[in-house]
Amino acid sequence: MHDVIQFERVTFSYPDEENPVLQELSFSISQGERVVITGPSGCGKTTLLYLCNRLYPENCDGILSGTVKLFGKDSLYFIPGEINHRIATVFQDPDSQFCMQTVEQELAFTLENLHVNREEMDKRISEVLALTDLCEFRHAVIQSLSGGQKQRIATACALIMEPEILLLDEPIAHLDPYTAKKYIEWLDDLQHKRSITIVAIEHRLDLWGNFFERSIPLHKTEVAAPLEKRNSSKIEEISLAVNKVRDKSFLKDISFQLSRGEITVLAGPNGSGKSTLMKTLCQLIPSSGTVQPDFLGYVPQSPEFLFLTKNVRDEIGYGGGSNIDEMLSRLKLENIADAHPFAISHGQKRRVAIAAMLSDGREVILMDEPTSGQDAVALSELFQLINERAREGTTFLIVTHDMEFAYCIADTVLLMDGGSLTGKFPAKDVWSDERLLQNHHLLPPKGLMRHEACFA
Amino acid sequence: MKHALHKMNPSVKFLLITICMFTMAFFFDPWTPFVFWIGILVLQLLFSRIDWKKWLLFMLPFFVTAFGYFWTTLVFAEDQSGPVIWSIWNVHVTETQLNHALSLSFRVLAFSSLSLLFALTTNPTTFIMSLMQQLKLSPKIAYGVMVGYQFLPVLKDEFMHIGQAQRLRGITQEKNAFQRLLGTRRVLIPMLAGAVRKAERAAFSMEARGFTGERRSSYFQVIKVGKIDTALAVVFLLVLVLSCTNRLWLDF
Repeated sequence: MHDVIQFERVTFSYPDEENPVLQELSFSISQGERVVITGPSGCGKTTLLYLCNRLYPENCDGILSGTVKLFGKDSLYFIPGEINHRIATVFQDPDSQFCMQTVEQELAFTLENLHVNREEMDKRISEVLALTDLCEFRHAVIQSLSGGQKQRIATACALIMEPEILLLDEPIAHLDPYTAKKYIEWLDDLQHKRSITIVAIEHRLDLWGNFFERSIPLHKTEVAAPLEKRNSSKIEEISLAVNKVRDKSFLKDISFQLSRGEITVLAGPNGSGKSTLMKTLCQLIPSSGTVQPDFLGYVPQSPEFLFLTKNVRDEIGYGGGSNIDEMLSRLKLENIADAHPFAISHGQKRRVAIAAMLSDGREVILMDEPTSGQDAVALSELFQLINERAREGTTFLIVTHDMEFAYCIADTVLLMDGGSLTGKFPAKDVWSDERLLQNHHLLPPKGLMRHEACFA
Repeated sequence: MKHALHKMNPSVKFLLITICMFTMAFFFDPWTPFVFWIGILVLQLLFSRIDWKKWLLFMLPFFVTAFGYFWTTLVFAEDQSGPVIWSIWNVHVTETQLNHALSLSFRVLAFSSLSLLFALTTNPTTFIMSLMQQLKLSPKIAYGVMVGYQFLPVLKDEFMHIGQAQRLRGITQEKNAFQRLLGTRRVLIPMLAGAVRKAERAAFSMEARGFTGERRSSYFQVIKVGKIDTALAVVFLLVLVLSCTNRLWLDF
């Protein structure tokens, strides 16, 4: 087995930053291997991947020392685009990696880049669609497909180049657990058929099972405390009462109640109406039915959508709350009180968003996918944040695909499918009911399995 | 027959329409643009399957503009020579004035329906592909435009999401249109910040697919110039010539 990617004492820094992202990094990957690169957010995983396909240092004027060898040749000696059909990449964001309208056109775009003859194109497109089991989507409009389908199409676009190495940047971050599992099985099957080298970035390895043969950890030192299952802080006092809520087209008469200090996870397949329900509850979408109280807090997946002012202190005081300093210290935001809300880290943004909601006097907080794309440290920070607030009497309703996180944090689980509520269940009943889980594209959390193994 | 304009090569259509517009620009009488406008409508009736309701909706602002031109030229014209043919209060409309006014408004109508004919019968992707294949547009620009076009629905969604999130913070929709316009600034900043990030990612993924911006040696979707284009070019030019020579056959 010869090495296809070799890093020799690679140090890399961005032009406007003092500290290098990667320092004295050496490793090699040989042909046919399945390797995962792990590490917390911001530790340079994506940078590393971009060095492997030669997007960096060219495209960011970064400073590189040491050598990156691809197929035994120094990467600097390849011209731009030359190496990309041998090393194909699937990026993380399913929305911004296509440039044509339909799947067929997108695949053809890739082949045109490689100067493939016209006669051969049709054959290769049919072949790769058959290989990836995507024939039915040949003429589909890409932007109308779901996140999971887009990710598979991006993979097909990478495979049509007949690459020797496939680079994947958090390919399952946007998928529900069941779809993610399917994607991994599908990838496993492909790797057997084509015997390509697979290098992936991932910080949540739970779903991957034995897929990877080896992992390359970046920044070993930062180990997050594993999440512990929390004790409920529920008080018998109704905090949110929802009665027969429906919107014009999709949601069907949804009713449920939450108690003060209760943490509820809202789960269901991609496209089952979870986000729509959240927005309906906040009265952002016209609807009928009643919601008590009518003043709910809402934190979208990108918290910066909420920000209106130029510093964190003003942001928290925007709604006219008076206890701003107390709120700053309760949510540990004193040292960034004067920073611009767009210039702080993602975790801090979410903290500011929650602080702003609480200081407006919104005691029920809805969070849309706060876990997606978060590493272990960020997850444990999020867990702390929610747990502490719940103990102070705030009620939470959280949409998440992360079953480990849900297992640790949820008192109750609301399940949705096709725009209607299947029901509200105590968390522990859901995790053990396999049929219920399967019907909603969920998988039992590992935490539960470990727990059961102890008693077996 | 009904599909002819839809099937026509977009570059040829584009060139023909440009020629028509330039030629029309040199005629200042009311009849030439009027006849030409009618000609365009007949072409559209015969050779396309557009949704006329949609057409009417798009034309509405142009009808208003055309009427505006007509009215202002009548009332504020500088050249007031010629016999007065119509008086209302103390506004005296002369023949020259009326001719100028009609000429301007028919020109607005002719140009706008010509543009609409193009817009309603052309698929944007095919148009760009054709520009690249027939008119040798650089692939860098062509695919740049194409990616931008794919982003439009994504940006629209994002605009809505940000607006919704901010409404939750207590921002109310302003009643005054001008203030509402100023208010969009708050939505635009986070949206543009996101758009810059998206653009970079899109550029990276294009390069990762081997796109270098050099000319392609073959195309999957070949856009041809065929008999239908020749035929329609003749028809277009016929309409143009007929309307330019209306003096010879139109007798008043």
